[in-house]
Amino acid sequence: MIPAFLAICFFVILTIPFVGVKYKGILVYLAIVVNAGLTGYLAIQALTGLPFETIFPGSTVTGAIALRLDALSAWFILIINFIFITGGFYGFFYMKAYQNQSKNLSLHGIAFLLLYSALISLTVIQNGMVFLIAWEIMALSAFVGVIFEHEKMATVKAGFNYLIQSHVSILFLMLGFMWAAYKTGSYDFQVLSNYTTGEKGAATVILFTTFFVGFAFKAGFVPFHTWLPYAHPAAPAHISGIMSGVMIKIGIFGILRMMLVIKPDFAIIGYIILVVSVISGLYGVMLAIVQHNLKRLLAYHSIENIGIIGMGIGLGSIGLGTGNLVLATLGFAAALLHVWNHALFKSLLFFTAGNVYQATHTLNIEQLGGLIKKMPQTAFLFLIAAIAISGLPPFNGFISEFILYSGLYHWLLDARLLSLVAIVFAILGLVMIGGLAMLCFTKAFGVVFLGNARQAFKHEVHEVSFQQLIPLYLIVFFIVAIGFFPGFFLKLLIEPVSLLAGNSGVAGIFEINTMQTMQQISWAAWGFIVLISVIFIVRKLVSRKRTIAVEPTWGCGYVKPTANMQYTASSFIRSYTKLFKPLLLSYKKEKNIQGIFPADGFFESHPYDKLEKWLIDTPIMEFKSFMSRFIFLQNGRLQFYILYGIIFIISIISIPIVYDMFIHLIGYFKQL
Amino acid sequence: MIDVLLITLLITLFYMAIANRLMTYIKVLAIQGVLLFVVAFVQLEEINPLNLGFILLETIVVKAIVVPFFLVYILRKNNITREAEPFVSNFFSLIITTLIVVLTVLLSNTIQEAHLDKIFFIVAMSTLFFGLYLIATRRKIITHVMGYLVIENGIFVLSLAVGNEMPMLVNLGIMLDIFASVLILGIFLNKIGDVFKDVDVQQLNSLKDV
Amino acid sequence: MLSFILILIAGAFFTGIIIRTKSIASGRKGPGILQPINDVVRLFKKGAVYSRTTSFIFQMAPTIYFSSVVMAMMLIPFGQSKGLISFNGDFVFFAYVLALGKFFSIISAMDTGSSFEGMGASRESLYSLLAEPAFFILMGSFALLTGYTSFQEMFAALHLGSYISYAIAILATFVLVMIAMIENSRMPIDDPKTHLELTMIHEVMILDNSGFDLGLILSAGYLKFALYGAIIVNLFIGMVPYPYAIPLFFIIQFLLAIIIGLIESFIARFRMSHNPQFIFALTSVSLLIFFGVLLVLGKFI
Repeated sequence: MIPAFLAICFFVILTIPFVGVKYKGILVYLAIVVNAGLTGYLAIQALTGLPFETIFPGSTVTGAIALRLDALSAWFILIINFIFITGGFYGFFYMKAYQNQSKNLSLHGIAFLLLYSALISLTVIQNGMVFLIAWEIMALSAFVGVIFEHEKMATVKAGFNYLIQSHVSILFLMLGFMWAAYKTGSYDFQVLSNYTTGEKGAATVILFTTFFVGFAFKAGFVPFHTWLPYAHPAAPAHISGIMSGVMIKIGIFGILRMMLVIKPDFAIIGYIILVVSVISGLYGVMLAIVQHNLKRLLAYHSIENIGIIGMGIGLGSIGLGTGNLVLATLGFAAALLHVWNHALFKSLLFFTAGNVYQATHTLNIEQLGGLIKKMPQTAFLFLIAAIAISGLPPFNGFISEFILYSGLYHWLLDARLLSLVAIVFAILGLVMIGGLAMLCFTKAFGVVFLGNARQAFKHEVHEVSFQQLIPLYLIVFFIVAIGFFPGFFLKLLIEPVSLLAGNSGVAGIFEINTMQTMQQISWAAWGFIVLISVIFIVRKLVSRKRTIAVEPTWGCGYVKPTANMQYTASSFIRSYTKLFKPLLLSYKKEKNIQGIFPADGFFESHPYDKLEKWLIDTPIMEFKSFMSRFIFLQNGRLQFYILYGIIFIISIISIPIVYDMFIHLIGYFKQL
Repeated sequence: MIDVLLITLLITLFYMAIANRLMTYIKVLAIQGVLLFVVAFVQLEEINPLNLGFILLETIVVKAIVVPFFLVYILRKNNITREAEPFVSNFFSLIITTLIVVLTVLLSNTIQEAHLDKIFFIVAMSTLFFGLYLIATRRKIITHVMGYLVIENGIFVLSLAVGNEMPMLVNLGIMLDIFASVLILGIFLNKIGDVFKDVDVQQLNSLKDV
Repeated sequence: MLSFILILIAGAFFTGIIIRTKSIASGRKGPGILQPINDVVRLFKKGAVYSRTTSFIFQMAPTIYFSSVVMAMMLIPFGQSKGLISFNGDFVFFAYVLALGKFFSIISAMDTGSSFEGMGASRESLYSLLAEPAFFILMGSFALLTGYTSFQEMFAALHLGSYISYAIAILATFVLVMIAMIENSRMPIDDPKTHLELTMIHEVMILDNSGFDLGLILSAGYLKFALYGAIIVNLFIGMVPYPYAIPLFFIIQFLLAIIIGLIESFIARFRMSHNPQFIFALTSVSLLIFFGVLLVLGKFI
């Protein structure tokens, strides 16, 4: 199967440049569907308890290359497959607008397929060296995907920002794998795992932390998140959806995988992850609220959701560390389920944002408004996703957050003081995240889709083609299905969670603890829908005989309201920004109106990231100003440059000699 | 009973954190005085009546009546504006106060002392730190004095915890502190208030050597 | 089931009693206790006016808002008898289903494209997000105190014995009353009787609703009061047998309505900029309740 997988990839990549523009997309998509079928079959087998393992001989450099597809990989493979199938379908239609850029499309198709193959292989490769190579392929192909619109300066800048930061991530991973290889003499995860079982304490914690930092860059934990809000808005919609839906999840996968392999001191690691995650969640959503660019807003929301997933991992890890199996089960279950949930609604949100962009050619929400009348289906899809991402019932976001709450409250019952403070912190964080997400999405949905159009567009704004909406409805189907039949989907989680918890008692806990509750929630969700429909029908029946009038909106007696008088996104969040001012950073340009007959005034605000300023901009500026002292070296004369080369070579040769002489001299003096 | 009173004392701190007016601060100080009176009355049952009478007199008369009235008198006399003028918004003051309480709870957890009643320790420490926070973040001199009085209350609570064992010592210290504070306050404010109209700490900055 | 019916009955009178209390406090005779119900019935009979700007969201939202409150009512137990739906962690569902109703009421306000309604929506979303942590910490304290995580088991196991537990109950009542006031946009936060759109929160959000929809929104508001009243009642009745519990339910609801009426009569509305700190103070107080529970359980090492 693996040769088939690779053969399809290579064949398609080699043929894409030579086929017609129309067939490029179809070819890539077909390759992904076939490969998804192959891997999906293996993954489903693994989820039912039949893991797959094969070992390639490899080369002398890498050692044997082990491919192991266990339940954890299977779960992620299914998610990747699903998002790539829907995203690819969506992207096929999204890219029709760029038909004239044939070469660019070939490159994009190749990158897309490579990204898919790299992500799939990352979930199964268990050899450090090859893992790094696949990681690099993923990073590069995503980079190519991001800079599709490379004629725009901002896009290229965002792409480079991403590229640099993902290489910092690779640096940390490389450090980790090198250390592991130094200690064990092999790149195989299994060997590392055997080695760390005997090793306890600081060594494993530090090794794990190195990996954690590396993966945290990819996943977007605060403070390693700064590339996300640039890369997502710059990329085409399907790429942003896929990046946010699955690519950053590979960071989560890495963390979980390393947890299985390294088995660090789970309690300490758990507390660290929990705190980092709560901060990520809060910080992400707090910054999401102030964004004006729809995709940037969604990108910050990804940081928030990574925080929620991280909280689940943290809880699970603490559960493992303290021997609380129920907590471990609930924590890991919440994390894994939320990985999927987030992949679903975040990709849906990015796709609908892509629709909005295609229809209006802008993502600045201050210029949008009233789109629900022009694009009712997109608006409806966005609304479902917005409710789901805010964690509200009866959709899927609620289920995973509910499991997380159950975990927290279960932990509460037998916790000591210190952990109680952690629990209260986590509960407060989760509640605030939920509330802030609601504020953010009422803003996004309300401003983009509701009210009147804030700006007249020169072109016709209309709904995208129906084919383009099909994958989105497929995603909605799962969002709703998880909300209404959570029990069924939780059953799929039993294998991966047992693997993570390292205990087969998980299934029993699921049965006793969660399934009944989920049954009740499912009933409640159905009841809720029935209730709404009943009241709605009553309302229809009652108001059928009444007179219904349509008038302008009530304007407090003012008869000539204009669309510009509507509440804007900035005004909607003004009381929030005022309240949280010390934590936010925003550059403002304004001109106040003065006098009885005021001239034109304006107000602009550009939200910025305080952490980015502190951690990235300021150090770079300091570094630059330090380096600018050596600017005299760069004087433009070739002779000098050659001289530098000579000086460099001489010093490289002479430094060891000088050092030896120095040591010798010291020894000489000591004899005195 | 004592626990309830002490929790109420903590609530007064929250109230103080979000209060806007100086008069509210003074009222809260008076309420704290009354609360401390009741706590002292209930807690110090083992010490001799004379000493108890002395402490009760101190709390009810000095803390709950004399000092507040004196502060009101100073406010009136110096025409100090009624706003508290904090540097930090009240919302964040509240969050920080909450954090102070949580941190003192954590701090109390690290102390392994069987004789010490934890709740006294928590309330005392929170009050103390809150007083410091109040001094650090309010603009006027008179709020510094109020912060100082809050600190006094915190120390008083701590002394109550051990009051049955060594009553006299702690109390004398407190009395002295209160008198000193009021005395300094009186002289300080009367003098400054007469010369400058606005009693603003920032003006003290101009005294520094450049 | 029992609690559902009781809340319905209490909801019918609750707002009437508040209004009556307020009128008596201001020296007027005031309307009858059933006047709010009559208002709603009259609204149900009326036709409606819709804004030209609105979409299907506006038509759906009042229904969903009302359903969310009814759904929340089903979760409330009464003494030993469970609510219609009861499971571990049902209070999470309770808070989130109410939040869903609020989500729709906010976007329906945005749907009209009116700047006033946007203002109300903005405030509503901010205040409700600040109020929510208090509820969760409060429920966490009860869970810790009793060792259960569903409404019914928690309340059934809640025993008031010592001073400190009374203090906790009183504080909890205070927090719950205040949450009820915020959820219903009543006095210290919002003034339902104000006539200036700029200072309203909830009232301004429903400026464009009329007819059946307005009736649904109003009755949802009445029920919400009784809903929180029922939670407060549950704090005190515990395992009291029904013949005493049911009268007690109505007495406490009645007292609560009078207290709210008195609060509304004698307290002025806060300045808008002071609201967040007041609302967040509830979270601080509920944290104190949490520590109080720790004291009761002796969890301080």
